[in-house]
Amino acid sequence: MVDTSLEGKEYSPFTFEVDRSKIKELCMAIGDNNPLFFDKEYAIKQGYKDTPAPLTFATVMNFWGNPEIWDRMKEIGIDIKRLLHAKEEYEYFSPIYPGDILKGVMSVDSIRSSSLMDMVTFKSTFTRDGEVVLIAKMTIVVMQQ
Amino acid sequence: MNLDFNNIQEGFELPSLTKEPITQIQLVRYAGASGDFNPIHTVPEYAKEAGLDGTIAHGMLIMGILGQMITNFCGIKNVKKYSVSFKAMTKPGDILTAKGVVKKKYESEGEKLIDCKVWVEDSKGEVKVDGKVTIKF
Repeated sequence: MVDTSLEGKEYSPFTFEVDRSKIKELCMAIGDNNPLFFDKEYAIKQGYKDTPAPLTFATVMNFWGNPEIWDRMKEIGIDIKRLLHAKEEYEYFSPIYPGDILKGVMSVDSIRSSSLMDMVTFKSTFTRDGEVVLIAKMTIVVMQQ
Repeated sequence: MNLDFNNIQEGFELPSLTKEPITQIQLVRYAGASGDFNPIHTVPEYAKEAGLDGTIAHGMLIMGILGQMITNFCGIKNVKKYSVSFKAMTKPGDILTAKGVVKKKYESEGEKLIDCKVWVEDSKGEVKVDGKVTIKF
């Protein structure tokens, strides 16, 4: 059973340093060979400052920057062996580049519990020098047994 | 972006992207890259104990593949929002195609925008991931 009283809880901030090799590694795993992510000169010609982070990079920042996320889920009462990823939403404000030092703050955006399932949305807000660059929301569900 | 807002109409199909079959090695790479080490993606015995036939792909890998199709179309800095729901599991061997279509063309707060329905389906037409992207011109 999830603890619905934790809705709205905000956790301590974490820091994530964006590095070039992590951008390349994620793209290679996806099988995306777009030179935008590998070739700085090409990226600059396309109007970027450097090779930007790809659209799903927030997942890297959450799991590698905030591995405590799994403990946070357990604290809420989520059975991590049975969770299903239901939805993922991103809002982008500015490209993210190698060398960026980002601050991430995660909060429990919503918790819903029904006879069918528990559904929890975690929101992570990433800022660079105080400006929001990305907001990520991850919704997970656990079916009631 | 070389695209012209005036040339894109509702119903315009984004260039689709068909990927090589998903492999187990790819799931290992994706686990390392993303930091999601849930063994359901990389250890067949664990997946079978969980009641599956074998390992399944990370949903986020499929969202990444759909993201590749979107980035091929318009780059990174023109994307305002991107969201998906995870519909069906993907297994090693699956051949996936990422597709999209412009649903709405509009202006808001001085920005020229398009909302596109985007999705990934396998070679049998089963939808794995279904979502939306908002792109600005």
